[in-house]
Amino acid sequence: MTGGKADLLRGTLDMLILKTLSLQPVHGLGISRRIEQITGGVFQVQPGSLFPALQRLEQEGWIKGTWGESENNRRAKFYRLTSAGRRRLGEEKRNWAQVTLAITRVMEAT
Amino acid sequence: MPAYRRIISTLQSLFRKEELDRDLDEELSSYLDLLAEEKVRAGMSPEQARRAARLELGGVEQVKEKVRERRVGAMTDTLFQDVRYAVRTLSKNAGFSAVAILILAIGIGGTTALFSTINTALLSGLPYQQPDRLVVGLKTMNGEMSGPVSRVDYFDYREYSRSFEELAALTTFTMQFTVTGGRQPALVDAGFVTWNLFRTLGVNPILGRHFLPEEEDPGGGGQILISYGFWQGHFGGDPGVVGSTLNLDGFPLPIVGVMPRGFRFMFDADVWALVDKNGPFDSERDSHSHWVVGRLKSGVTMEQAQADVDAISSALAEQYPESNAGKALLLTELQSYMVRDVRLSLLLLMGTTVLVLLIACGNVAGLLLARGERRLSEMAMRSALGASRRRLLRQLLTESLILTIAAGLLGITVAYLLQGVILQLLPVGELGMERPVIDSTALVFTLLVSVATGLVVGVVPALRGTATDPAQQLRSASRASEDVKSSRLRSGLIVLQVALSVALLIGSGLLIRSFAHLSMLDLGFDPENLLTGQLQIQVSQYPTPEERNQFFTSLLEEIEALPGVVSATVINRLPILSRWQDWSIWPAEQPPPSLQESFSAMARWVPPGYFETMGIPFVSGRDIAATDVPGSPNVIVLSEGVVRALFQGSNPIGRMVNVGDWQTFEVVGVVRDARINTLRRAPDAAFYMSFAQMGPSRAQIAVRTAGDPNTLVGPIDDLLRRKDPNVLFAKASTMASVLDDQVAGFRIVILSLVLFSAVALALTAIGLYGVLAYHVSQRQNEIGVRIAMGASNGELLGMILRRGLLLAGFGLLLGVAAAYPGTLLVRQLLFETQPLDAASYVGAVGFLGLVAALACFLPAWRATQVNPVEVLRRE
Repeated sequence: MTGGKADLLRGTLDMLILKTLSLQPVHGLGISRRIEQITGGVFQVQPGSLFPALQRLEQEGWIKGTWGESENNRRAKFYRLTSAGRRRLGEEKRNWAQVTLAITRVMEAT
Repeated sequence: MPAYRRIISTLQSLFRKEELDRDLDEELSSYLDLLAEEKVRAGMSPEQARRAARLELGGVEQVKEKVRERRVGAMTDTLFQDVRYAVRTLSKNAGFSAVAILILAIGIGGTTALFSTINTALLSGLPYQQPDRLVVGLKTMNGEMSGPVSRVDYFDYREYSRSFEELAALTTFTMQFTVTGGRQPALVDAGFVTWNLFRTLGVNPILGRHFLPEEEDPGGGGQILISYGFWQGHFGGDPGVVGSTLNLDGFPLPIVGVMPRGFRFMFDADVWALVDKNGPFDSERDSHSHWVVGRLKSGVTMEQAQADVDAISSALAEQYPESNAGKALLLTELQSYMVRDVRLSLLLLMGTTVLVLLIACGNVAGLLLARGERRLSEMAMRSALGASRRRLLRQLLTESLILTIAAGLLGITVAYLLQGVILQLLPVGELGMERPVIDSTALVFTLLVSVATGLVVGVVPALRGTATDPAQQLRSASRASEDVKSSRLRSGLIVLQVALSVALLIGSGLLIRSFAHLSMLDLGFDPENLLTGQLQIQVSQYPTPEERNQFFTSLLEEIEALPGVVSATVINRLPILSRWQDWSIWPAEQPPPSLQESFSAMARWVPPGYFETMGIPFVSGRDIAATDVPGSPNVIVLSEGVVRALFQGSNPIGRMVNVGDWQTFEVVGVVRDARINTLRRAPDAAFYMSFAQMGPSRAQIAVRTAGDPNTLVGPIDDLLRRKDPNVLFAKASTMASVLDDQVAGFRIVILSLVLFSAVALALTAIGLYGVLAYHVSQRQNEIGVRIAMGASNGELLGMILRRGLLLAGFGLLLGVAAAYPGTLLVRQLLFETQPLDAASYVGAVGFLGLVAALACFLPAWRATQVNPVEVLRRE
């Protein structure tokens, strides 16, 4: 961890993106900013990891990108969650809960 | 991800690549816009905002590259891209590529051609059923291999052995018979076999049947099987041929079957007849004229079968000590027996081509290394633009693989051409094996060799070419200096190449010297302007020896009267053309020697004038005379070898000798030994009886001519047709071409070896030149400074030459050291040449040294032409 910012744990970026998109369709910069905002700036998603991740999620069929207009009438590609993506997010949540629970137990064990 | 989605994505990324890329471009620029907008809202000026946005995004190209790598099918995609890029780069350097491809094609083509030949000849089976169960039995005497087996011994082996499904035998030679009853008499070659030979081999007649066991018994009926070729040629493929008869030397023999097309075993034959089991001819245990072939019972090993026949051999030795003491039967796998003569040549050629391929690899690797150094800035640039090292490595390897695969494709053409040559040179087809072809196995081999070659030549240059730090490289791109590691690698390659080349040259030198010895050999007779052929008259027309002698004498006179003929003669077997027929001979006052102590020499019978026509010099005594006819005392002329063995060199004229179980002969003359059997053997001892006293119906004719012997074939043919249309005159050829055929195989091996060595030498010279030229171009600055400081041309020449010759010298030392054990392997091919033949070694080293010096001189001379002012100004 450098500059007080946490690196994204491996595999968690996918989950965060899916979670972000579960509320409404968002474009790339929007996803970055939303994650930053919610995590209070702990996680910063750089374009170099954001776009490859989007590419992979779209190929898996979990999200779908469509061109639309931003709030300021700019053309931007908006991603929305597909039903497969919604199922995937459910799985990821359950896994995450298990992992965090397990790690918490380890860390709090005396 | 479901399979169908994966396929669709892969196809999309392949075929909609541009669309996807455009989409990505747009998305990134919209991202930038949005980011800038955000910053404007935060209070930046639009320009500041755009700059800040760009900085935050990082390298657009790098992001794009990362996304592309994520795409499904990215591997295939980048492969296509690499291939496209590689093809573009390679075709931009067409000269470089052409040279590299050509060099590799020679190496790959050569190995492919030899691989497919070896694959067929040495590795795949013979065209018989379960060939791995087939064995050959050869006689050994006191443990020494000594060839064919006695027919009588064979029948005992067949009766008492328990290890064979079948044990068969056949004569080691064919006999010629005249077929009459057709429009013209024809000569056929007949082989004699036991009834079960074809069953043993597992080959069935395509028409009719095999022999039956009872047909081998006395009064069996003289059944014959005929070859496919003879069936087509003589009977026009008539399906009713089975059941008809063939007139052989006047005997009508029933045809019971036709063998399949292309079938041959040990020798070509038109007709197979049964061995006469109880016949008087060759009926002694000490007369050895048959090959034994067996098929092992399933589950029986070679060792068990050998133990089985060994037991029989010792029983026979006990029962017949005179003929069988020390005699045994050695079993050998049929396949390895059949390829014994070509194996060494094939392996030698294979080894040679592999060496040439290695040298070619060395050259191309050297070329790639040098090119890699020139391309360091390109690599640095690409790396700065976001390409990972793995990506660059893959790119460079793709390039070398494309080179070698192109070379492999070209190599297939080379292989086709070469294989034609190899097949002409080596008697692979005569083994009765299928003709080797470049088949799918060979093509797979080519592919593997190409890929392996690509990796071999590509890996090191690729690792070297991508190893530098891009920032440093870009900064110093204008002042390229020779990379120490790379140059050491290239020097090492050159040393190896020189070593391999000099070893090859030494090998070629040894074989060339052997060949020179062979072709300048004193044969003991004069082979120039000598026409040879076969003659056969019908015994029924000339029933007595007197009538036959009369015919031959008058024929020779008439031939000598033809214009262009110097003299003409006949003999039972002409030198080189027909071999062996060695009979034992001993002084008449001594008892017949035992088999082990007996002395055998070549038995020949000749008319007066034979020695003069052949050019065999007389030592003492007289020639066979016209008066030495049936009824007068038997006379014989000995060669010096016989005199040495029988009379310890004392004067034999007037002494009496016994020959075989024949009568006694008086020695009337002594002639020089001549090479009668093969070129590679020392001159053979021989004795010559009177043709008239033997009275044969068949002979070989030799006509000494003033000019080209071939022009006399027609006139002699005409003469015979007028004289007696039933006389057969066949297989006319010049003695020179007979000798030529003898060395043809050897010559092919030598020619290929010399060719390969020349290629190796040329490649090495090019490699050496390349290394030095590159070295000079990299050291231009230093050389410029030296010139400016007053270095003379001589000093500069010396400096560069020294470096080149040092490399060559190391290589020469290494090569000479490696050559000696190598030449021991080819010892069998050498003729009157020692493996440590000084001339070959000195010649090879000298020649390579000279070529190396020439290859070094040009770059060295170029160093003296460097213009110091220009160099220093550039600096």
